[in-house]
Amino acid sequence: MIEYAVFFFFAAIAVIFALVVILHRNPVVGALSLVASFFALAVMYVLLDAPFLAALQVIVYAGAIMVLFLFVIMLLNLQKQAEEPTRPVQQFVGYAGSAAFGIALVYYLSKYVVLELPASPFVADARTVGVALFESYIFPFEMVSILLLAAIVGALVLSGRGVQTS
Amino acid sequence: MIPTQWFLILSAILFAIGVCGVLTRKNGITIFMAIELMVNAVNLTFLAYARQFHQLHGLIFVFFVMAIAAAEAAVGLAIFISLFHHRETIDVDEANLMRW
Repeated sequence: MIEYAVFFFFAAIAVIFALVVILHRNPVVGALSLVASFFALAVMYVLLDAPFLAALQVIVYAGAIMVLFLFVIMLLNLQKQAEEPTRPVQQFVGYAGSAAFGIALVYYLSKYVVLELPASPFVADARTVGVALFESYIFPFEMVSILLLAAIVGALVLSGRGVQTS
Repeated sequence: MIPTQWFLILSAILFAIGVCGVLTRKNGITIFMAIELMVNAVNLTFLAYARQFHQLHGLIFVFFVMAIAAAEAAVGLAIFISLFHHRETIDVDEANLMRW
């Protein structure tokens, strides 16, 4: 019973703060709301028996990535720039289209997807994930490390004012 | 245990909110945050199905998605900084150099 209460409470938090992200004009408020939404999603991960990924969600997403967003917002001093609204036709198509998409998806999921819960819980702690990561997924893991290195170099080249070649 | 459908429905709602943000906003960083919202909705779906079918692959995939989202955020924000240096704005309608 308490499980359901926790689920509904944090689901409501996740949805409300996600709405604040896309509706609020100030990007700083948006970024902080996104952090709150990610925390609520970390609670969802705990409810799904994945405590390791919940910790990663808090540390990597709410910690590292959102700090990067806030840093860039403050670096560019965007709080003072007023964002113009988009064209009315674009507003209408955006809201109506995504609302129709969401309602259709929820309708389909609640009507046609029938899933029986497995009898035993499936707890994936850090050990299970780590063993899988370093045994069967070792090649993609190394590829991701190279991708991150390429991203670091790309970010340095793009955000600098051009490398001086002498 | 909470039924898997409910997690899928929550994920669908968050994904639709992200789509709405991408379609209706002009500020580049807000669009980026809406994309992160969609990525997280998909992660929730992966984890819900991983628990449903007792598969570890979904969890590993969420791990890789997080790593790639970090790389994407670093490069994307660097592009916005560069755009701001050139145009003094991050309104995505102003970035029309490659538009026909």
